[in-house]
Amino acid sequence: MTLAGLERPDAGSAHVDGHDLTKLDEDSLARFRGENIGIVFQSFQLIPTMTALENVAAPLELAGRRDAFSRAAEELAAVGLGERLSHYPRQLSGGEQQRVALARALAPDPLILAADEPTGNLDSDTGAGIIDLIFEQKNRRGSTLVLVTHDASLAARCDRVVRLRSGRIDTQG
Amino acid sequence: MTVARRGFLERFRAKWVPVRVKKTRQNETPEHYDVSTKHRNVLDKLPLALRFALRDLLGDPRGFGVFIACIVIGVAAISGVNGLSRALSQGLAKEGRTILGGDISFNLSHRQVEPNERAWLEQHGRVDEIALMRAMARREAATTPDGADPALVELKAVDPSLYPVFGALETEPREPVARLLALRGDVFGLIADPLLIARLDAKIGDLLTIGAARFEIRAILRGEPDKLSGGVGFGSRVLISFDALKATGLVRPGTIVRYIARLALPGNPSEEEVAAVADASGAAFPLAGWDMRKRDAASPQFSRNLERFSQLLTLVALTALVAGGAGVANAVRGLIERKRAAFAVLKALGASASRVFAIALTQVLLMAALAICLGLGIGAAIPYLAGAALERVVELPVVVGMDYAGLAIGALYGLLVTLVFSLGPLGDAHGVPVAALLRGEAESSREKGPLRYRVAGLSAMLALVATVLLSATDKRLAAYFLAAVLAAFLLLRGVAFAATWAARKLPRAKDARLRLAQSNIARPGSLAPALILSIGVTASLLVALALVEGAIHAELARSGTREIPRFYFIDVPRDESAAFESFLAQQVPAPRINHVPMMRGRIVAVKDARAETLHVGEDAAWALDGDRGITFAARVPQGARIAEGEWWDADTKAPLVSLEAKVAKGLGLGIGDEITVNVLGREITARVANLRRVEWRSYAINFVMVFSPAAFQGAPYSELFTIGYDVSEGRPSQAAGYANADALDAALARETAKRFPMVASVRVKDALEAVDKIAGQLALAARAAAGVAVVTALLALGSAIAAGQRARQHDAVVLKTLGATRPWLMTAYALEFGALALVACLFAVVAGAAAAFGIVEGLMKMSFVFLPGTVAATALAALAATMLLGLAGTWRVLARKPGPELRSL
Repeated sequence: MTLAGLERPDAGSAHVDGHDLTKLDEDSLARFRGENIGIVFQSFQLIPTMTALENVAAPLELAGRRDAFSRAAEELAAVGLGERLSHYPRQLSGGEQQRVALARALAPDPLILAADEPTGNLDSDTGAGIIDLIFEQKNRRGSTLVLVTHDASLAARCDRVVRLRSGRIDTQG
Repeated sequence: MTVARRGFLERFRAKWVPVRVKKTRQNETPEHYDVSTKHRNVLDKLPLALRFALRDLLGDPRGFGVFIACIVIGVAAISGVNGLSRALSQGLAKEGRTILGGDISFNLSHRQVEPNERAWLEQHGRVDEIALMRAMARREAATTPDGADPALVELKAVDPSLYPVFGALETEPREPVARLLALRGDVFGLIADPLLIARLDAKIGDLLTIGAARFEIRAILRGEPDKLSGGVGFGSRVLISFDALKATGLVRPGTIVRYIARLALPGNPSEEEVAAVADASGAAFPLAGWDMRKRDAASPQFSRNLERFSQLLTLVALTALVAGGAGVANAVRGLIERKRAAFAVLKALGASASRVFAIALTQVLLMAALAICLGLGIGAAIPYLAGAALERVVELPVVVGMDYAGLAIGALYGLLVTLVFSLGPLGDAHGVPVAALLRGEAESSREKGPLRYRVAGLSAMLALVATVLLSATDKRLAAYFLAAVLAAFLLLRGVAFAATWAARKLPRAKDARLRLAQSNIARPGSLAPALILSIGVTASLLVALALVEGAIHAELARSGTREIPRFYFIDVPRDESAAFESFLAQQVPAPRINHVPMMRGRIVAVKDARAETLHVGEDAAWALDGDRGITFAARVPQGARIAEGEWWDADTKAPLVSLEAKVAKGLGLGIGDEITVNVLGREITARVANLRRVEWRSYAINFVMVFSPAAFQGAPYSELFTIGYDVSEGRPSQAAGYANADALDAALARETAKRFPMVASVRVKDALEAVDKIAGQLALAARAAAGVAVVTALLALGSAIAAGQRARQHDAVVLKTLGATRPWLMTAYALEFGALALVACLFAVVAGAAAAFGIVEGLMKMSFVFLPGTVAATALAALAATMLLGLAGTWRVLARKPGPELRSL
C-alpha cells in the first residue's frame, strides 16, 4: 500500500521512480498515483454509477487527457470488452468487472500495476483467465507488476517473490 | 430503483454518452469517430467536477427525496409569503387614490375644514368631505318590552352627491347613493353593514333611531372603497348623509368626531405633483393641525402592521427551512455513506481529496438548485392561486404579479441553508481513506474532513444571519428571532449530547429490551441528535404558539373580573356629566364610576422640531400618527404612577403636561422640554412636568398626555366615563333583578341609549371579543406557517430514522437469528424512540414557554399564562407522533427475512 501511495509509512522512506513518496503531500500523491500506479482490487471497486467506458476513462479524465474516452475504448477492446462500453457494473459478470478494472488500471500506462488478490472474488476458471490477461498486458506494456496473492502457483509465475509473515519479510528471491 | 426508472435513466445516459463507438465483435479494435472534433458531447466541455457529479446523479439519484422536499417547502413558503405581502402592498399602492378617497386627505378632529381652507383646496381640485364618529343605533318597533338592545355603530357621514369620488360603493340592492340616503318624510336613508343587520336582527326597510334622527335601512353595505383610510373601529359601519348627521343632534362642541377632507387633483397627477400640492397646503396653513396623508401612504399604520405580520410569517417560514436543514444534513450524510467506496476509488485513480469534495458538493448544489427552482415555482404561483381569496378575506385590493425580489430572497435562503447544513458533512468526503479499499473497510471507515469545511459552514451561517437582518424591516424582531433559533439549536445539541452521555454512563439496564434501547442511544451514529433536534424544534414551536393564543384568550376572560371596567361611555356632554353619573349609580349597585374630560388632538411639534420632520422608533411612532385622546386634570389621575418629576398644583396657571414614560423616551422628551399639540385648530404648547408609567392592560382610563387644566381653559370638551361592578357570585345582577351579568350589561346599554342618545357605549367584553376574533384569524395564519415548519421537521425526522435503518437492520437480523420476535424488537425500539422524544418534549415545554413569555410579555405587553393542560396535550401529541413515525419506519426493517440479509452481510 505504501508502494502504491495509498498509505504513509510510520518510519523510513519509499522511493518510486525517483520520487520519495513520503515527501509528497496528499494531492501530489494522488496525482502521482493517477499517472504512475494502476491498482486492481480484489473486489473490483468499479464506480457503480458509471458505465464501463466511464470507469476506464476516469483516471485519464482526472489527469486532464483530452483523448480519455477514445483511449478508454481502446483499453476495453484490448481486454475483450469492446461491446460492453455502455454497460454498468451491475450488468457485467464478475470476470467482466475485473477486466474493466484491469483496463482502468492500465489506461494511464502506469509504471507499476498493483494487483491485490485480483482473483479472490472469482471462480477458478474466470480467475485463471484474468491472471493470464494481467500477465499478457504486463508483458506487452513493460510495466512492473506487483501481485499480492496467497496462491503459491501464481507467485511462481512472477520474476521475484517476497514472502511476508506477520507483517515482516520472511523470504525473498 | 424500479426497472422502468432505471431503463429511462440508462436511455437518457446512452443519449449523452460522450463518444459513439461503432459496435464490433469482441476483441476487435473498435472503429470510432474522431471524438475530439466532430462528436464531442456537450458534457465533455463541462468542468470535471460537474461532469462527474452529473454522471453520478443520473446513474443513481436516490437519497435526495427528503432533501428536495425540505428545501422546496421552505423556499416555497418564504417566496409565497413575500409574494402575497407584495400583492397586498401593491394593491394598496395602486389603489391609493381609491383607498384614500382622493390624492391627499386632511384629517381633523372636532372641526371641519374652515371655509378659507376649503376655498384654497378647491382651487387645486375637487374636495369631498366625510365625518366619522361613534354612536348608538336602536331598532324601532322592537318586540321586547324593554325595547331593542342598542348597537354601537361607526357612523360615516358623506355627501351623497359626490361619494364615492373614486371606486364604487357596493350595496345590495344596487342603487345610487343619493337615492339610498335621501330624506323621505322625516326618515333618512341608511346603508348598514351586514354585521349590524345581524346584531339588531333587522332587515331592509326596518327603522332605526340614532340620536334624535330616524333612519330606514335602505341597503346592505357590501364593499366600501375607502374603508381602510378611515380606520377600523369596533362598531358596525353605517353610511348616512351629512344632513342626517346634523339631524341626529350628536355633533356638539367637544364631541369626538373626525372630519376628513379629500382633495382629488385633476387628471392623473404624478406622485411629484401630489407631493407639491401637499407641501403647498402645509405652507399655506401651518397651524391647521390636520393629519395629512398622500395616496401613496393611505394607511401608514396598516402598512406598518402588514409589513410586520408578513415579516413574522417570513421568519416562521425561515424556521421551516432551517428545521428542514436537519433533513438536508441527513441526506448529505447519507450521500457520503453511499458513495464512500466510490470516493475512495476516485482517490485511488488520482483524484485529490479536494476534487472529491468538489464532486460531492456539486451533486448537492445541483439537487439544491433543482429544489430551489421547484420551490420558487410554487412560491411564484401562490399569489396567483390565493390572491383572489385573500382579497375577499381582507376586503382590500390585491395586485398579483411576479415578486422577483421575494423570489430572489427565497432562492438565497434556500442556497444558504443548503450550505450551512451540508458543508460540514460534505467535508467527510475529503477524508475518505483510500487504503480502506484494500482492507474492505471503505464502507465503515471514518475520518473527519479538515476543519476548513466546518469553518466554511460557519461562514455560510453568518451569511444567512446577515441576509435575515438586512432583509428585515423590523431588525430588532429579526435579531430576537435569530438569537432564539440559534439558542434553540445549540441547546438541543447540548440536550442530545447529554442524552447520549447519560445513556453511556448509566448502569446497564437489566431488561434486554431496555438495554438495547440504551445502547442504541449511546452508540456512535445514534438517532439522538437528529430526533431531539427535529422534535425539539417542532414541539417548541407548537407549545409557544399554544401559550401565546392562550394568553390572548385569557385577556378576554379577565374582562369578567372586577378589575376591568364593564363599559366605556364616550361623548357624554359636559353639561350632563353630573346627571349621567347619577344615572349610572342608579342602574347598578356599588358601581365604580370614573370620568375624565376628553378631547382629541395631534402632536405637531416636539421641542422645536415639527412632527413631520421627526424620525422616531416604533415605540413612539404611533403617538405621532394621527390624533390622540387628550385629557386634563388638576390632580394625579386614579391609578397613575409618577416615574419622574412632580405633579402640578391643582390651581396652577401654567400649561403643563404629564407624558407616558415610554412615549416620552421615544420622542426624546424629558422633564422641562416642550411639546405642542393641535386641538380644535389651536396649537397648545406645554412643558413636560412629569412622566407616568401606564398599565394599558388594566383597561382603566389612561392617556398618553394629561395636561394641566390651564392648558385648555375654556375649550369645549365631552366626558369619558367608565363603570365597573363586581360580578362575582352574581350579586349585582341579582340585586338589580337580572339573571346574570350579560343581562345587566344589556339593560344598562339600553337605558343609556334611551336616556342619553348622544352617548356611545362600548362594552369592554365586546371590544375584547372583536380583538380576540382578529387575533384568532392572525393565529390561524401563524399556525398555518408553523405547520409548514412542523412538516419539514417531521420530514427531517423521517430521514434521520431512515438513515439509521442499516444499523438497525443488522441488529434486527442478528437478534432474530438468536430468537427475538418482532414484538420484542418493536418494544425495544419504542423504548428508544419514547425516551428520546420525552427528553425532546421536556425541552420543548421549557423552551416553548420561555419563547411565549418573551412574545406575550415583551412584544404584546400582555400577561403570560402557563396552561399546563394545553402544554401537556401538545407535548403528548409530539411524543405520540414521534413514536408512530419511528415504529412505522422500523416495521419495514423487521418484516425482512434473516436469510437473505445474513448472506449479504
